[in-house]
Amino acid sequence: MKIRGTSGGGVRIHLDDDETEALKGWVEQLAELVAPDEAESSDPLATMVGLGADREPSGDPALQRLFPDAYLDDDEAASDFRRYTEQDLRKDKAQRAAVVIATLGERSGRKGTVTLDADQARAWLGCLNDLRLVIGTRIGVTEDDQWPDEDDPRTPVFFVYHWLTYLQGTLVDAMSPRSP
Amino acid sequence: MVDVSLAPPEVDRPDTDRFAESVVAPDRPWVTIVWNDPVNLMTYVTFVLQDYFGYDVDKATSLMMQVHEEGRAVVSNGTREEMERDVTAMHGYGLWATLQRDS
Repeated sequence: MKIRGTSGGGVRIHLDDDETEALKGWVEQLAELVAPDEAESSDPLATMVGLGADREPSGDPALQRLFPDAYLDDDEAASDFRRYTEQDLRKDKAQRAAVVIATLGERSGRKGTVTLDADQARAWLGCLNDLRLVIGTRIGVTEDDQWPDEDDPRTPVFFVYHWLTYLQGTLVDAMSPRSP
Repeated sequence: MVDVSLAPPEVDRPDTDRFAESVVAPDRPWVTIVWNDPVNLMTYVTFVLQDYFGYDVDKATSLMMQVHEEGRAVVSNGTREEMERDVTAMHGYGLWATLQRDS
């Protein structure tokens, strides 16, 4: 896997077939997880303006991390904020996942090149971050975690997590403005 | 946050400028806080602070290091509505952020 910046703020990412298939599979799972709710509200006006039915944070720790409370000490303010913002956040994250899946589908050439313009590169960056948040939360990553013990059933997922970390780190380096 | 008025004048306080920047004007009493977490890359947090707030690389890096070393940093201040907008944006990028009245 290699990443090169292009003039104009885009990047070219080179992935082999296995990397591409694996990444596509994980991003598809992420897309399902973050998909905005079907219209559950019985209030047609609420549905029209994108108000979510949910006022409570999810029971799923990965979703809690993707959509955290905005207020630490005020449950009512946190609920209102969630109701007004979570659906749009879900849409944005789902759209970014869709960009990753679509551009992976356009991979071409001997080197397995995915060519991204600046906007698509930003979509990849955000999507990879969301993916790492979900996986990291699920396997209980901490600041000090490097690798689990041999017998730990989480080990294969740690490989995935570290590979995604390398991919995202390389991408952000390719996209970061150079220091003067 | 450090109360800079208690600092003896002869003590070298390299953080004074950084904290002075986050002193809040009286009519803009809310702040956005970004919290440390074990997943987000330091380079990514720095990128986000430049990309969204327009901070230069030095300020973005300094705020990121504060998040990393102290567990949290105030990244913006303003009205409650402005801070809700900033927190929403931070959640969009995948950072963990909250808003509160400035203490």
